[in-house]
Amino acid sequence: MKFYVCIKQVPDVNAPLQIKDGELIQDADRSILNAYDASAVEEALVLKEAHDAEVEVVLAGPEKAKETIRKALAMGADKGTHIVTSGDSNNDSFTYAQMLAAFFKDREYDYISCGKQSQDTDSGLTGSMLAQLLDLPYVTNAVALSYENGSLQVKRQGDAGQEIIALPSPGLVTCSNDMNDPRIPSLKGIMQSKRKPVETIQAEDLGLTDLSPKTKTIGFEEKPGREPGQKFEGEPDEVAQKVARLLDTEESLI
Amino acid sequence: MSTLLTYISVNDGKIKRSSLEVLSRCNQLADNSGQSSAALVIDSKASDYVDQLKSYGPDKIYLIEDPIFKNHLNTPLIRALSLAIEKSDPSVVAFASTEGSKDILGALAANQKTASLADMSEFELTENGVKGKRPVMAAKIIASVEAEGSPVLLTVRSGSYDVIENPSEPEVESLDFSFSDDELQITLKEILGASGDKIDLSEAEAVVAAGRGVKDEEARNMISELASVLNAGIGASRALTEAGDYDPSLQIGQTGKVVAPQLYIAIGISGAIQHVAGMANSKVIVAINKDPDAPIFDIADYGIVGDLYKVLPPFIEEIKKLKN
Repeated sequence: MKFYVCIKQVPDVNAPLQIKDGELIQDADRSILNAYDASAVEEALVLKEAHDAEVEVVLAGPEKAKETIRKALAMGADKGTHIVTSGDSNNDSFTYAQMLAAFFKDREYDYISCGKQSQDTDSGLTGSMLAQLLDLPYVTNAVALSYENGSLQVKRQGDAGQEIIALPSPGLVTCSNDMNDPRIPSLKGIMQSKRKPVETIQAEDLGLTDLSPKTKTIGFEEKPGREPGQKFEGEPDEVAQKVARLLDTEESLI
Repeated sequence: MSTLLTYISVNDGKIKRSSLEVLSRCNQLADNSGQSSAALVIDSKASDYVDQLKSYGPDKIYLIEDPIFKNHLNTPLIRALSLAIEKSDPSVVAFASTEGSKDILGALAANQKTASLADMSEFELTENGVKGKRPVMAAKIIASVEAEGSPVLLTVRSGSYDVIENPSEPEVESLDFSFSDDELQITLKEILGASGDKIDLSEAEAVVAAGRGVKDEEARNMISELASVLNAGIGASRALTEAGDYDPSLQIGQTGKVVAPQLYIAIGISGAIQHVAGMANSKVIVAINKDPDAPIFDIADYGIVGDLYKVLPPFIEEIKKLKN
């Protein structure tokens, strides 16, 4: 079984952020493997261990994102491909999906997986766009995967409950970070990753004629902070009563 | 004249309030721009919702009714939406942000070769498309975004707009739709319904949310009691849904549901940014936590520093008294 996992390098949302002249500024060293993609890599590795699968990762991003491919290889992926984009590109979900679709066009695979969204933009569009461009059946927001009777059994979180879906091959699945805790690469894994092959493809060599984004981000602002309100400490009976009454008298919520 | 098309999410005979919020916004934008506002229901019993919808002012209602829509399945839904887009030629197709709409937004955009904007907190029309705002970086930052296209597809976070009642006599058009099971590539084998709590979390006016501090059945019982007294939905942080203490569909945060109720009571929740991303737009936030430095207190309107096991019983008692 051949598994491709699409991964992305993203800024760490836990790191300090600044906005300068409408641009988002962040310490460049705080770029990480998107947590949702890390869960997709982990799940592919679990399937690899149980079913003898081959796991390749593919990343579209600037030169410096190569370190994120190494991270996935150190976790245990067999091979990586880096689609190199120019550093100042305004790629949106659709341009990423187009690049990935062009990459997969002539490849053979059983399943493609990716995170359900990137943790920086939270759009959650690229996975299902890619499925549509490749005309693949797909399932989003997977919270558990297993491989039975020649197809992937996907448990997805829907609005009202969890749906169990059989996804035939070839197919695409997007993963929630609720499905597992991605492994931390071992020292051995890190050493081995240095010898694993990484193929490099320039984005402009993918044969795409129009890579202009369909959406534009025109600026950033800090979210207007909530003013911290009143804080009560003391006897539990008293403070509980006081707050309950305030919710009634001040907010009319009781 | 162009149309703003609102997809109406329904569940068990009820229209989701978040869809009515989006419809109300689209009605307003249509009025201001001289366009028309249309509502679209895709369901196994789509026509059942016409009467409810008439109270919320669309100029037109499109119905696509087929047994296949009894459960959420992405392939037929994308087909039906494509049909509705072809028939109504809209400038905008707007959805409430739900797991159902998130599942198909990207695929529909690729199918229609058009632009899509996910999880908007506000939006307005431009000359050739839409501009608006959406939270990014775990909702710490608001990004201004714009898109051109025909139509522009977008999903809207729940609680972003008010529902405005506005009775109308819309024209109703049913669209012919057929879909054979052979075209379904994926097989839905089973649905595991969310257990217990019947109040839809994303629609609830009040939410009681449990976090790591809620350690045992005694505390979970108090959470249930408080929720029942307030007629509130129950939510939980990721720690508790992962531990299996609460159903995964109750998870609130960047990964789970985004809620914006009138009253949000965070109990034993420290306030990690991933959780706050899912509830920071609540109108009034109450936090109960024994750690005075917990970040949840930075956003809470009313913070109680104390042991939830000692605070909750008198809190529930007092609310009961006030209710009577």
